[in-house]
Amino acid sequence: MKEAMNLPNQLILLPLLAVVVVNLPLGLRWAAMLGGVFFSIYQMWTMVFLPPLETGFFDLQIDGLSRVLLLSIGLVAFVSILAARGTIRDKRERFYFYNLVLLAMVGMNGLVMVRDLFSLYVFIEITSVASFILIALRRELDGLEGAFKYLIMSAVATAMMLSAVALLLLATGETSFAKVAEQMRLGGSGLPVLAAGLFVAGLLIKAGSVPFHGWLPDAYMAAPNAASILLGGIVTKTTGVYALIRLMQDGMFGTGMSPVLLLAGAVSIVAGALAALGQRDFKRMLAYSSISQVGYIVLSLGTGTALGVVGAVFHLFNHAVFKSLLFVNATAVEDRAGTRDMNQLGGLAARMPVTGFASVVALLSTAGVPPLAGFWSKLVIIVALYKSGHPVYAAVAVLASLLTLAYFLSMQRRVFFGKLREGLEGVKEAGWYVLVPTLALTLITMGVGVLIPWMFGSFVLPMEKF
Amino acid sequence: MNGEFSSLVPFFGFFAILLFVIGLYCVVMSRNFIRVLIGLEILTKGVTLLIIAAGYLTGKVALAQTLAITLIVLEVVVVAVAAGIVIAVYRRNNSLDVTQLRKLKG
Repeated sequence: MKEAMNLPNQLILLPLLAVVVVNLPLGLRWAAMLGGVFFSIYQMWTMVFLPPLETGFFDLQIDGLSRVLLLSIGLVAFVSILAARGTIRDKRERFYFYNLVLLAMVGMNGLVMVRDLFSLYVFIEITSVASFILIALRRELDGLEGAFKYLIMSAVATAMMLSAVALLLLATGETSFAKVAEQMRLGGSGLPVLAAGLFVAGLLIKAGSVPFHGWLPDAYMAAPNAASILLGGIVTKTTGVYALIRLMQDGMFGTGMSPVLLLAGAVSIVAGALAALGQRDFKRMLAYSSISQVGYIVLSLGTGTALGVVGAVFHLFNHAVFKSLLFVNATAVEDRAGTRDMNQLGGLAARMPVTGFASVVALLSTAGVPPLAGFWSKLVIIVALYKSGHPVYAAVAVLASLLTLAYFLSMQRRVFFGKLREGLEGVKEAGWYVLVPTLALTLITMGVGVLIPWMFGSFVLPMEKF
Repeated sequence: MNGEFSSLVPFFGFFAILLFVIGLYCVVMSRNFIRVLIGLEILTKGVTLLIIAAGYLTGKVALAQTLAITLIVLEVVVVAVAAGIVIAVYRRNNSLDVTQLRKLKG
């Protein structure tokens, strides 16, 4: 019995239990938010302090990579739940939101701990289904359209991944990561190469990398604000990018996929940044920025070296922090000013000083300005690219940072700086439910950057030891 | 890799790819929501066939059956959510035409 509740199992079973209990007719609906907040804090706490060693059901394991991801999942879920409390006015909708976030956490926590191709698919599907409903939660036409596009793309991606699983089963007779990788090392061509190609294409669709990014801006933009935080911060990063990192790390595909990943990453970085430059909608711009940042992670992964993987995971963590922060800022702005159209906003820094400052910190971190967190992860990525003999891609990564800075500064000028627009005089700073996550994420962004000498040895490098 | 194995791979492969292509064509070309969902189903059926065939050919029938049943259950969940979205769209738009769902751009 004691073994049944070890840490990996707790991370799956506790949120599931919370959802079941608050939905029983016991009058406990009010407890949904508390359950979500306590569980996400508990998850962060255990990930920071406990050495993860145990094995749960279905061979669930926590290693360095899972630990970073579990920490990010806890953080983003915490932020998203608080933001939902502050911005979703309808009580029923809010209750559904908490339940769906908890279910998405079940999926994501499982996803980062599994060691088997088919369980990976099951947990990806749990996460995706929860996010489809989150996007469509308000039942407005925009949300429904975003959710339907995501659903179709995701279903096609799933079909491709499952075909790959079937082909790997045919070639090796196994589905666990370790055994498939072992069989793949023994040699093999034709079938396994096809399987690797299908799998990578499916995961790139899920991650929203160019050229499969069509659904992503629509889904992020149309979702309720609090759901955008969860989606942009962590959902697509775990379902797509993390799975890619894990499979590459376990040597499932060999090195044959490296050129594809390098190209997809570089194109995503540039195309995402260029598209972000032309946006009027705050959240749509953030979505394109997300595509661009996912490009960095994929590019880093494409090097195929240990340092590249460290850079990818570190950037994934930083991205979860600063992109959630930017989405929280967008939430605060829309909640108070009533619009996301950047051409109708202006001068909000005077009325919302905390949000304006947090936005500056987040954008500088995204663009990679020292000493903020984003600078260090981009540095690792660029060094990894240069060392593995890809100076051209390294140059693309450096130059695209300028584009990032350009579109974010344009956003900052149009939304927060300059003269206050007419009609916005009555805007007040966002409420505490939005400010607490804003401050927490700002502190983490600055803290990780400033404390990097300590972080690098204790937090970043151990990710390499799998 | 015995004789039966190599002769059956193209056989199963052909039908799996056929189902896959029909499903994909249906998803991409249909203008009706319900047809898109049916296309998704056909697509997934191709994959299910592939998994079962892989299990049969490698002698891991039990594993493949488990995978196929789990797959069917999850697919039903996805299609149920999709049908929910389609019903909500129909209530707003009074039409099942996919091309009317083109508001988000940029």
